[in-house]
Amino acid sequence: MLNRLLRASPYIVVQLAAMYLYQVAGRIDFPAAPGRIGPDFWPKSILVLLGLVCVYEIIKNLLIGETFTAAGLLEKLMKDSGEVEGEEKQRSYPLLLAGGIVLTVIYVVTISSLGFFLATVAYLALFMVIGRYRNWTVIAVSSVLGSLALVFIFMKVVYVSLPLGVEPFSAVSLWLLKVMGVHW
Amino acid sequence: MKHPGGPPGPGARGGRGGPRGGGGGGGRPAPRPAAPAGAGGGAAGMEALVHLGNGFLQVLQPMNLLVLFIGLVLGMLVAVLPGLTLVMGVVLALPFTYSMELLPAIILLTAMYVSGTYGGAFTAILFRIPGEPIDVPLLWDGYTMARKGQPAKALGWTLFSALGGGLVAVMVMVLASAPVAKFALTFSSPEYFAIIIFGLASVVSLGGGSITNAAISLMLGLLIATVGVDSIYGAERFAFGVPFLQDGIEYLLVMVGAYGLGEVFTRMEKGFAGDGTAADTDRRIKTEFPTLGEMIKLKMTFLRSSLVGIIVGIIPGAGATVASFVAYGAEGQYGKRGKELGSGIAEGIIAPQTAATSSVGGAMIPLLTMGIPGSGATAIILGAFLLHGMQPGPQVFVTSGPFVYAVFASMFLGVIGMCILGYFAIKPLVKVLELPEAVVSAFVVMFCFIGAFAARNNLSDLYVITAFGILGYLFEKFHFPIAPMVLGVILGPLAESSFMTMMVSHGNDWTVLMGRPISATVMVLAVIALVYPIQRQLREKTRRSETPQ
Repeated sequence: MLNRLLRASPYIVVQLAAMYLYQVAGRIDFPAAPGRIGPDFWPKSILVLLGLVCVYEIIKNLLIGETFTAAGLLEKLMKDSGEVEGEEKQRSYPLLLAGGIVLTVIYVVTISSLGFFLATVAYLALFMVIGRYRNWTVIAVSSVLGSLALVFIFMKVVYVSLPLGVEPFSAVSLWLLKVMGVHW
Repeated sequence: MKHPGGPPGPGARGGRGGPRGGGGGGGRPAPRPAAPAGAGGGAAGMEALVHLGNGFLQVLQPMNLLVLFIGLVLGMLVAVLPGLTLVMGVVLALPFTYSMELLPAIILLTAMYVSGTYGGAFTAILFRIPGEPIDVPLLWDGYTMARKGQPAKALGWTLFSALGGGLVAVMVMVLASAPVAKFALTFSSPEYFAIIIFGLASVVSLGGGSITNAAISLMLGLLIATVGVDSIYGAERFAFGVPFLQDGIEYLLVMVGAYGLGEVFTRMEKGFAGDGTAADTDRRIKTEFPTLGEMIKLKMTFLRSSLVGIIVGIIPGAGATVASFVAYGAEGQYGKRGKELGSGIAEGIIAPQTAATSSVGGAMIPLLTMGIPGSGATAIILGAFLLHGMQPGPQVFVTSGPFVYAVFASMFLGVIGMCILGYFAIKPLVKVLELPEAVVSAFVVMFCFIGAFAARNNLSDLYVITAFGILGYLFEKFHFPIAPMVLGVILGPLAESSFMTMMVSHGNDWTVLMGRPISATVMVLAVIALVYPIQRQLREKTRRSETPQ
């Protein structure tokens, strides 16, 4: 039963979200024109279809316990080819993934304060370490030179205004831009 | 860059100013608009040739040639690099096009698209490492031929197939696009709506994952496209009072997050490969061309596979991988030596490689003539068009004919350049296999972030792509394909506006879809596309359960 519940869980989540969004769609405020469908019609239609597909999957997986599923052509071709490794053969590293996601969120939160260069040097180096890479020279050189190259390409060549950060970190960004001859 | 509503129409909409098709090479004055071929018989054909000639002149300008070269190299690199796919590569290149003129931007992305179908063949044949799913069928005969002591010959057949398939497809694209665009000019909202529905149904039934998961992914994409203020009533939908949601969710963010960041997270969970591949990339590598006699002997394989590639390319949702597999299957069924496939014969290399490269020309036809992208890569190319203020569609030959012919010319040159590059630069290209995946992935994330940020210089977009990165990972984890969601986000506004226009014009009578010959035919095809694979697999299942063990 637990297996069935696990298989059905993504569909239950999507179904609940669809039901909630249907409620929200019912509250869309618009000037109704007689004889014309409103802006709520399209999203509501999609939500109904989404709900129906989810109900089918929930009944199939949870209540009947059926595992048959019609695959798209590409899926079928890849499976038939036998060149796709089965899931069971692959080792999983959930801690690496969690570390990667947390690091990415921290980068997004801190980039406006640290500035692009400092935040990126730290992110690249830590990402490689979390990704189980241990050649420290390559990590140090590629994260520093890589960040410098990105700053140069995007601010000098492509004209993207990357975040400079706040004091005292912005002093580093401003000094770098001055050295590179970038006007901001 | 939210997709402008309504069926693709004339001229520029949204994006960054008007169309800038002049190319980076020096702002040549744009020739007068091209007449769709067929409009005046031979005269129109002659005019098309003249425009193609002008297109070559534009592409041959130094800056455009440089961009073409860079695109070809990048396409091959992403096809070879561990942890990078062709679609991801094109996504990552998109931010570099922001400051470009439209022509070099499209040249860069289409060059990557073309060469990405070829680069992975090297590693598949030499090291049994398919750079992309496209290259999986090359393992069966390409790698086997290499193991039998003929790696140079196998690479020669690959080069011949990529060159021939690519050129044939581009020629078909040049000849077919203008008539298709002219035909599409007769479409009204029901026809457009039906074509979009067919496209979406094909994405669901031809792609990866189960059909129900693909349908859920598609509907989530269509829902994401409704977020923000709607274009007809000005009503706010699913914004929850959050200011940046009121502007809608940019599909660029969905693509970059789900394809780029999501894939990195997925590979991170698998632990990344430590120090690159253990393949012997130092060994002597060369390419040996097949003789003219050998080529002529296999002309039917080549023609059949080109045709398969072009047709599969045109069908939305199929793309190079399906083309490669289907052509290999067709060769097994109809080829003279079909039963010998898998033993290292040339037909097993020609079929998948020809079809994969020729599918690019096929996929560009609906994109240019109807504004409908059929694959991840063409969706990104459409994004580049919109960013530069140009909407591809039936009017494209009238409003931007010279530009379209310049794109055609760049694809001709791209296919030839790709093969020259493949011949001379194969050794350094396969060397990139040695790059550690963790290092490559760290930079992939960086390009994702810069790409997302650069579109609007808005830091809150970084949160959005992180969220879509996590969603992309969850999709992979639970076997939901990403492509339907991305195409849903892109085609959603177009589908909705066609639907609303149809309902308003026909008194809320949706049955008009079945009352017009073109829309009715396309709707029937859409239903078949969805129902046939389910019915076939149910039949297979019943047969299997009836067969005694």
